[in-house]
Amino acid sequence: MENIENSIREVAEKLLSEKKVDLIIGYEQGTLPLRTTPCFVDKVEDIKKLVWNASCDANLSKYVLGRKEKIGVIAKGCDARLIAVCAIEKQFPRENVVIIGVPCLGVIDRKKIEAKLGDKEVLEATVEDEQIKVKGEGFELVLPKKDFLCDSCLTCKHRNPPICDVFVGEKVPENTEADEFAEVSDLEAKSAEERWQHFKEELSKCIRCYACRNVCPLCYCKMCFVDQTMPAWFGKTNDLSDTIIYHVVRAFHVAGRCVDCGACSRACPMDLNLRELIKKTEKIMKERYGYEAGVSLEEVPPLGEFKMEDPEEFIK
Amino acid sequence: MSNPYIPNLAVIRKITRENEANDIKTFELVSKNPEAMKNFRYRCGQFAEISVFGAGECPIGIASSPMDEDYIQFTVKKVGVVTTALHNSEEGTVLGVRGPYGNGFPMERMEGRNVVIVGGGFAFTTLRSLTKFILHEANRDRFKDLTVIYGARDPGELIYKYDLEAWGKKDDINLNVTIDRAFPGWTGLVGLVPAILKEVAPSSDNAIAIICGPPIMIRFTMPVINELGFHPENVFLSLEMKMKCGIGKCGRCNIGNKFVCKDGPVFAYKELEMMPKEY
Amino acid sequence: MNGGWFPMKWKVIEKSKLPILIEELTKEYEVFAPVKEKNVASFERVSPENQPSLDFRNTKKPLKEVFSPQTETVFTYRTDKKDVEIVEPPAVKGKMVLLDVRPCDARSFVLLDKFFSSGEHKDVYYLERRKNTTIVGLACNSPLSTCFCTSMGGSPFGKEGVDLLLQDINNKYLIETVTERGEELLKKFPWLKDAEKADTERAKKLSEEAENAVKSKVSVKDVVEKLDRMFNDPLWDQIYQKCLGCGVCTFLCPTCYCFDILDEEGKRVRIWDSCQFPCFTLEGSGHNPRPSGKERMRQRVMHKFNYVVKNYGEIFCVGCGRCVQECPVNLDIREIIRAISARQVE
Repeated sequence: MENIENSIREVAEKLLSEKKVDLIIGYEQGTLPLRTTPCFVDKVEDIKKLVWNASCDANLSKYVLGRKEKIGVIAKGCDARLIAVCAIEKQFPRENVVIIGVPCLGVIDRKKIEAKLGDKEVLEATVEDEQIKVKGEGFELVLPKKDFLCDSCLTCKHRNPPICDVFVGEKVPENTEADEFAEVSDLEAKSAEERWQHFKEELSKCIRCYACRNVCPLCYCKMCFVDQTMPAWFGKTNDLSDTIIYHVVRAFHVAGRCVDCGACSRACPMDLNLRELIKKTEKIMKERYGYEAGVSLEEVPPLGEFKMEDPEEFIK
Repeated sequence: MSNPYIPNLAVIRKITRENEANDIKTFELVSKNPEAMKNFRYRCGQFAEISVFGAGECPIGIASSPMDEDYIQFTVKKVGVVTTALHNSEEGTVLGVRGPYGNGFPMERMEGRNVVIVGGGFAFTTLRSLTKFILHEANRDRFKDLTVIYGARDPGELIYKYDLEAWGKKDDINLNVTIDRAFPGWTGLVGLVPAILKEVAPSSDNAIAIICGPPIMIRFTMPVINELGFHPENVFLSLEMKMKCGIGKCGRCNIGNKFVCKDGPVFAYKELEMMPKEY
Repeated sequence: MNGGWFPMKWKVIEKSKLPILIEELTKEYEVFAPVKEKNVASFERVSPENQPSLDFRNTKKPLKEVFSPQTETVFTYRTDKKDVEIVEPPAVKGKMVLLDVRPCDARSFVLLDKFFSSGEHKDVYYLERRKNTTIVGLACNSPLSTCFCTSMGGSPFGKEGVDLLLQDINNKYLIETVTERGEELLKKFPWLKDAEKADTERAKKLSEEAENAVKSKVSVKDVVEKLDRMFNDPLWDQIYQKCLGCGVCTFLCPTCYCFDILDEEGKRVRIWDSCQFPCFTLEGSGHNPRPSGKERMRQRVMHKFNYVVKNYGEIFCVGCGRCVQECPVNLDIREIIRAISARQVE
C-alpha cells in the first residue's frame, strides 16, 4: 500500500510539474478514522497530501465532468470504468484527462464495521495487510479485512483498471471465481410479492436526499427528472409512492452504464441497499447483450444503439 | 393563531390579453367573500401568492391600484407550471390569494417630492399600480412632478396600452414610452430605457426614483441614475427572487439575512449596496 | 435559584422500572422514543411492537421531523372548477412526549422555536405540535468524537429545551425537573422516589466528565464577524469543490428548516428542501442567483453562521455532528469553521 501511495505521489508530481495536467484529483486523509476525502491538488508542494489506502472509497470520476482544466485523476478499476463510460457518452474532452489507474483489492465498508461494533465508536483505526485494527473507548479489536469489504468489492472482476493512461504499481490477480450476481439470484428466487415487500420495506426509509444520485458519476443531467416541473413526472415527497418511482427510474437511467462501484449504497445515510435493483439490470445487460460497461472505449453501449442480431423475443 | 398558509378564495372576473405574444395576461379577481375583499388592503409594490389549485402557488405583484376597491388585478407572464395553469384558466375559475405580502413602495418618502418611475418590460406591473395611485385625483396633489419612463422590446410587448394611452393625454404626468429598436408603424420614442432616461434627464432635486426591470436593465440604468445625481437612499428597486411561502419561512428568497418576500421586495439602493450581490 | 439542594426538583427511577413508566405514559400521551432497527436508532412512536432502546448514541435523523414532518399536508381541497373548498388539517389533539432527546436536539428546538414563531406570520403547524409536547431529555455520559456541542452553546448535560432531564447514574436515572411542564408530567408518577444527595452528586460528576469528554472543539468567536466581510472571499472557491450538492447535511441537520410547497391532486403539501439543491433558487425565467455549488455552499455556511445570527441572535448549529458523520465525501463543517476562523480578512 505504501509503495502505491508513494508511486501515486511520484506520478502526480511528475504530471503537475511537467504541466501535463493543471490539477490532480486524488484522496487525502479524512477527519474521521477509516475515512479519506477527495483532494484537489494544483501545487506540487501539496502532492504529499495524497494518500492511498483501503478507505479510498469515494468515486473520483464524479469530479472529472464540468472542468475546463487538464486533470489527472486517481482511479480504481470501477472509477476508471466510469470515466470510460462518460468518455463514450462524450461528457468531457477525453484528451483533458489523464487516468492514473491504481490496482484495488477492495475498499472497507464502514457500515459493516458499525454494525459489528454496535454503539461503540471507533476512535482510531489502522489497516495492516489483511487486518483492520480498531480502537475505541474501552475496546480494541482486530477484524479480518476480507469480512468488512464493500459487497461490490467482494465480486469485483476489475481490480486492475481496464482503461487508464498511467498504471501505478503491479497488477493484482483478478477474482475470477466469485459469482457477481449471487445477490441478484437470491432476489430472483423470491416471489414477486416477496420482492415487492422487500423493496417497499427498504425504500420506505429513503429521505430523498439524493446522495445516491449526486455521488454517481453517471448522474450528470443538468436537470434531473426529479426536478422537472413541466411536466412534473412524479412527486418529491418522501411518500413511498413517490420514492419508489425515483429509485426505479434512476435504476433504469443507469442501466447498461453502471459498473457497481457501490458508491450509492455507501453514500446513503439511511443505509439502504441501493445496489441490488441496479445489479439486476447489470445482469440483464451481461446475459442479453454480453455487455460490460466501461471496459472498452470503442464499444457503444447496447442501450445506445441497435444491432440486427439483437434478441427481440419480447416483440410478439 | 391564524394559519398564514391558507389562501382566501377569489374568482377570475375578467382576463385581458396584454401583449402580442399572448403570454402576458391581466387577471381581474374579486373575492368570494366580500369581507375578505375589504380586508385586503394593500400598498403599491406589494405582491400576493396566487394559487391555482392543483398546479401550485406563485408570487405575483399587484397591478391594480389600492384605490380600486372592489377588485384586484394581477398581470402574469406564462413561464412555468403555475403561470401556465393560470393562463389556461377561464373567467369564473376560483383561485386562491394569500397576502398582501412584502413592504411595498415607500409612499411616505415620495410625498411632497418629485417621483421618477423607470420600468422595463414585464416588470412594469407594480409600477403601473404606483402610477395609477399617484394619478388618482384623491392623491395627486400629495406628489409633485411625475415622470414615467417605460420601455419594452417592441410595441407588441408593451403592456397596459389602454392606460398608457389615457396617461398620454394627461398633463400631470411626463410619460415616456419607448421601444428598444425602431419598429414599423411606431412613431414614439425609440431606445433602451437607460438611454431614454438619460435623454429625459429628470431632475434629482427633491426626487425619489423607483426602478423595476430585468437585471440587465437595472445594470445599465443605475449608472445613469447616479449621473443624474440621485442619492442611493432616494433610489428604490423592486427585486425578484424565487419565492414559495411569501412570509419569510421557507428560506429560499434570502439575500444575506434579508428576505425579499418580507423585508422587500422593495429595497433602497443604499440598502442593496450593503447586501451581498446574490440576486 | 443557585446553590442549595432542592429535594423536590430531583427524582430517581431504577432503570428496570423505566419501561413501566413509559407504558403508563403511552396511555395518556403519544410517546416518541429512539427505537433501534438493525443497529440504527430512529425516533418512532412507542407501541407494543416498537419498544424504545435506551442504549443508543443518537438517532440518524434529527427530531425536527416530529414537529415539522418531511412531508406535511398544508391543506386539502375539493374543487369543481366553479368552486373550491379548502379543508385545513385537523387540529393537533392529544399530547406528545418525546423521550430520550439528547441535549443537542433539545437545544435545536429552542432555535427552531425562535424561527417558526418569528415575524408577523407564525408557522402554526410547527407551533401547535410543539406546544402540545413535553420533552424528556437524556443527558450524554459519553459524547461521540464528532460531537462539538460545547463549542455551539450547548453541553452534554444541557437543559435548554427540555422539560425533564434523565441522567444515567449507573443502575438508576436521575430525573431533573427543568420546567413546569416537566413537573406536571412527573406528578402523574407519584411512586417515583426522591433523589438522594449521592445521586445528584454522582450526576454532577458525570456531567463534568462528559463535558471534558467533548474533545472536538471549534471556535466560533470571530466567525460571525469575519463572515460579514467574506462574501467574495476566494475561500469559497476551494471549500465547495468536493461537495456533491446532495441534501444529506441539510436533511440530517436539526436546525435546517427550509421547505418547498407543492400542489398535488387534492392537496397542498410542504416537504423538506435543501439550499444545496440546484433548483432551490432557480427562477421561472431561468435565472439562478446561485448557479453553482460554490454559491450554494457559501449560502449554507453564511446562513447558519451569520445571517441567522443577525435575525435571531443565534448560530443555527448545535454541534450534534450528524453532518460530519454522514457526509458521503467527509466534508467536515468543523474544518470549514476553522478555515474561516484562520482566515485573514480585510
